[in-house]
Order: sequence, then C-alpha cells, then structure tokens
Amino acid sequence: MLALDISGLEMRFPGLDTSVLSIPRLHVPAGTQLAVTGASGSGKSTLVNAITGLETTTSGSVSWGDTDIVRLSAGKRDAFRAAHIGLVMQDFHLFPGLSAFENVVLPVRLSRRLTPAERQRALHLLETTGIARPDQPIETLSRGEMQRVAVARALLSKPGVIVADEPTASLDRRTGTEVAELIVRLARQDGATLVVVTHDPVLMERLDRRIALEGGRIVEDSAEARAA
Amino acid sequence: MIRFILADLNRFKAGALAVVVLIALSVALSVTVTLQERAVRLGSARAAEKFDLLIGAAGSETQLALSAVFLQPSPLPLISGTILAKLSDDPRVAFAAPVGFGDSADGHPVVGTTTRLIAALSPALAEGAVFAHLGDAVIGADVAKRVGAEIKPMHGAADEGGHTHTEIVYKVTGRMAPTGTAWDRAILVPIQAVWQLHGMTAHEHHDHAGEAAETVAANEHDHDHEPHVEAEAGIDEHFDAETPGIPAILVKPKTIADAYRLRQEYRGETTLAVFPAEVLTRLYATLGDARSLLLAIAIGTQVIVIAAVLLVTVMHVGARQRQIGALRAFGAPRRAVVAIVWGELFLLFLLGLALGVLLGYAAAQLISATLTARTAIRMPVEFARQDLSLALWFVVLAVLVSVVPALSTLRLSPARALRS
Repeated sequence: MLALDISGLEMRFPGLDTSVLSIPRLHVPAGTQLAVTGASGSGKSTLVNAITGLETTTSGSVSWGDTDIVRLSAGKRDAFRAAHIGLVMQDFHLFPGLSAFENVVLPVRLSRRLTPAERQRALHLLETTGIARPDQPIETLSRGEMQRVAVARALLSKPGVIVADEPTASLDRRTGTEVAELIVRLARQDGATLVVVTHDPVLMERLDRRIALEGGRIVEDSAEARAA
Repeated sequence: MIRFILADLNRFKAGALAVVVLIALSVALSVTVTLQERAVRLGSARAAEKFDLLIGAAGSETQLALSAVFLQPSPLPLISGTILAKLSDDPRVAFAAPVGFGDSADGHPVVGTTTRLIAALSPALAEGAVFAHLGDAVIGADVAKRVGAEIKPMHGAADEGGHTHTEIVYKVTGRMAPTGTAWDRAILVPIQAVWQLHGMTAHEHHDHAGEAAETVAANEHDHDHEPHVEAEAGIDEHFDAETPGIPAILVKPKTIADAYRLRQEYRGETTLAVFPAEVLTRLYATLGDARSLLLAIAIGTQVIVIAAVLLVTVMHVGARQRQIGALRAFGAPRRAVVAIVWGELFLLFLLGLALGVLLGYAAAQLISATLTARTAIRMPVEFARQDLSLALWFVVLAVLVSVVPALSTLRLSPARALRS
C-alpha cells in the first residue's frame, strides 16, 4: 500500500505550447480508492502514464511512498512498476497463443523464474476472478473473461498500487459492472491504493474519492469539496 | 520466454515461413555450389587414380586424359603400335595396355584393351571370367546386361549416325566389380577384335598402321574388302612392330621415378605423355575459378536476402510497437523485450540455415546422382571441416543482423508504443 504525492507536475509534448497536464499538488493517502474522470483529451491518460512511469515527465515529481519515480532511470522505473504497480488497461493487452495462466505469469516469467508461491497465487487469482480453466487459450475467452485475466495479471505481484485505465469501457454494462466490482473488491482485500480512470457512474460511486480533469488541470476534487 | 517466442512466431506463421524459406534458398545455393564442386573434384580425382601415365599421339593433353580416363568420345590421332610393343618390353613398365575406343553399344562405350588392364581396374571380377576369345566381352559394373548376353557394337555412337558392325557379335563373359570410374559404363573387348573390325589387322593391313594422323572415330576405313573377325579365335596379347595404331596407351610404371622418366622420354614430336592427375589439377583450377564466381553470386544473393529480412523485421518491429509497449508496461524488463525480438529473428535464421543446408545437400546429391548415371563416375557429396567455419560465420552474421531490430526496440517509449 503506497501513498501518491505529486508536486509541480508538468507534461508537455514537443511542438505544443501549453502543457497537456499540470498538477501543482495532489496527495492520495495510501489505501485510497480514487476515481479520475474527464472528457477525452482532458489529460486522464497522460496522468496515468505519468504516475505509472510509462512516460517521462517534463518537470515536477511523482512519488509513490518514498520513491520519486521521475528521478529513476528508465530501467529502474520499469522494475519499480513491475514490482509495485498493477496495470489494467481498456484493451486488455493479453497475448494470443498463450493460455490464461501463461498470460498472468508472463511479465514475471520474462524477468525471472516463477516461484512456486507465485504459481499458487496465479492459480488462486484466476479462481477468484472466475476463470474456470487456467490452461484455456486466451483467444477463446469472452471479453469479460479476458479483462478478469488482466486483473489477475495486475494483482500477481501483490502491488501496492493498482492503476486501471477505463477498465470497463470496452465491456457491456453487466460484465463491466462485474469487473469493476472485482477490481474494487480485490484492491480493498489486498489493501492496495487504487486509481481508476472511468466514466462509469456506478464504478465512481464505489470509490472513496473522485477528481475531475479538464485541459490537464484538476477542476474538481471530492476530497477538497468535503473539506470545504 | 521460449514459450512466448514460439507463440509469437505461430501468430506470424506465414511471414516467418517466408523469411525461413528465403534464407534457406540462399543458403542452399552456396551449399550446393560448395558441395558439388567438391564432389566433382573428388569424384574425378578418384576416377583418375588408376591411370598413372597415358601415352598418345601428339595432340591435346587434356583431350587424351579426358578420353582415356572418362571415356569421353572424341576423335584422337592414333599412335603407332610399335610404341606399344616397345613399352611392353620396357623393364621400367609393370604393364602397358592399349585403349582403343570409338565404338559403342546401347550408349555404352566399347573399349578395346587387354586382360592386364581389366585386372588393374578390377582385380577380382564380380562375376564370370575375362575374355579369352576375340568375340568375348567384359562389362563394367553399371552396364545393364547379363553374363552371356550378346552385344552388337556400333561404329561411333547412335546419335552421331554411326552404323552397326555386322561382322561381330560380342558375348559377355564377365562383369567387373564397381570401380567408381567412367569405366563402370564401358564394355571391354579384346583390342585385336577392334583392330580386325576396323580392318586394321596387323598382317593384312600394313598400310593402316601408319595412318597416325587419322582418327578411329572419323576413320572412313575401307569397306570394299570385308574385314573378317574370327570370334572363336583365341586372344594374343603380344605386341610387336606389326601392331596396328591405337588412340592411347595406359602405362603402369614400376616406380615413381620410372613414371617421370617415361613421361620425359615419350614427350616428343610424335608422341604425348601425360599424368592424368596433373591434367585434372589444371582443370580443377578452372573449376575453382567457376566455383569462386558461383559462390560470389551465392553470397551476393545472401546479402540481398539478409537486407530484405532486415527490412521486413524493422517494419515488423514497427507494427509490433503496441505489443512491445504492453510487454514493457506490464513489467517485462527491456532486456527481455530485446531478447524476444532478437531470439525470434535468430531462430528464423537458424531454421533457414538448417533447412538450407538440407536443401543444398539434397540438391547436390540429386545433381551427383544425375552425373553418375550419365558418366558412371561416383561423385561423393560430403561435408568437410572447412564447411563448419562457413556455417559458424553465418551464425555470427545472423547474431549481428538480428541484433539490429532488437536494439531498435530499446528506443521505444512504452506509453507511445501503446498509443500507436
């Protein structure tokens, strides 16, 4: 479980005068479940990329716990992400030709040997997420099942943070709700900090706090609203 | 990792297959050129092994060697029979055997010679016995006839519009063991029968013995007085001043020193003495040049293929940015991504190499088999130690070439890769 601290964060793209993301300060206490909303182009995805270290920031700092990931080298940042941040994406990004189980353990297997404990956890997670046959080829699963496998993959390394980028946007309402429930439940179970980019009001309802972005700036924060 | 690479290759089956086939074909080309050149060289060298020294009338050394060793039909000037007689009595000579060609039967060369040469080629016959009468014949291992079969010789070859000799029908009395030389396709008959058939009998046709400038094949000999061959007559392998002319004499010297002395002695105005091995060495030099050229072309195609493969993979990496970005995003270290792209390409190179070596080997075998069927010369298709270093070079090159697209993935930012 890790707290997020952002200060003076600026993200610019070459050739653009205005920054696509500008967050002077944001503190998310450890274990919080945060919803990020905003229209497309509001900077949601850029925020996700910045806090997961997928993209280098122009200036400012992004700290998870005591680690400022902006100051890490690319390799170290990758390693930090692998160890502490579980990612769930809108398009699943599963790899065809591999089974559900193999997809869950792929990132670990590509960096080192899978431990028996991780093997057990992977099977347990697949069971928890409702995948009956771990050896089923991934391309034969339904979209809802695919996202469940992706959730299992995100949780394998017991990350302190789970970042989900529109996890239900490409699913129908019912499966979307189920998957959303699953993410919230499992994050709470593991005590992980959860950041979800979403438009889904049902999902937003379940989360502790909500921030809204517009033009790369935070225009609404439910925590501040409550404090005020 | 391996599992992922295989699953990934399986996804791009058609493209991977095309790359492997492309590499395999270019490798096969070099392998075939190398193996075939070696096969021809080894095969002909082994075929010439039993022919120490050839003596013929003045003319082309190469033609003399090719005609006597490989039984390649060609009109050769005749050498006087007295020389054969002189060589037979020479103390430095183990044996001297006449080689009289020009006739054929069913596409096989009919060669007039003596029992000494048969004994030298095939110390023990595979079946039957050597000839004892003028009408007897001994066949090479590859002649598809049975002992006891009849052979009607033809002057020249059928496709040259030759005519059949009606004066004699040879009867097969024996078959030689396989020698791996052109002589496996030959039909060996007593040299006297050949002389008599062509009206060159020592005692009746003195005039013919002097026609050194003419050739047996082109010899329009006199048919007005019918030559007569007594098939039942015994053979006489004693040669003297009366002996008619012959295209070539095979000499087996007693020692190496004798061989050089004899060659020196018979290199003159009217006679020619050659070591077939030496003539072949000269031919190999030409063959080597041809091989260098072919190999250069083969390597050129390999360079083109490698360039094409590089282009394909660089484009492929571009098309796979999303996948590579996702791998990085979910925590695969960069070295794993590099290893995957590199491993996939290297695997294709190795597969192409293996397939190419097999293909090239098969092609060389096929070509050798075709050549052997035509010439009876065994052409051994075999790998040599230096091929290993060639293969090693290819592997090193494959490692280097496949590293280029792999390293290009390092520059990809995972977020940008995911967006594209």
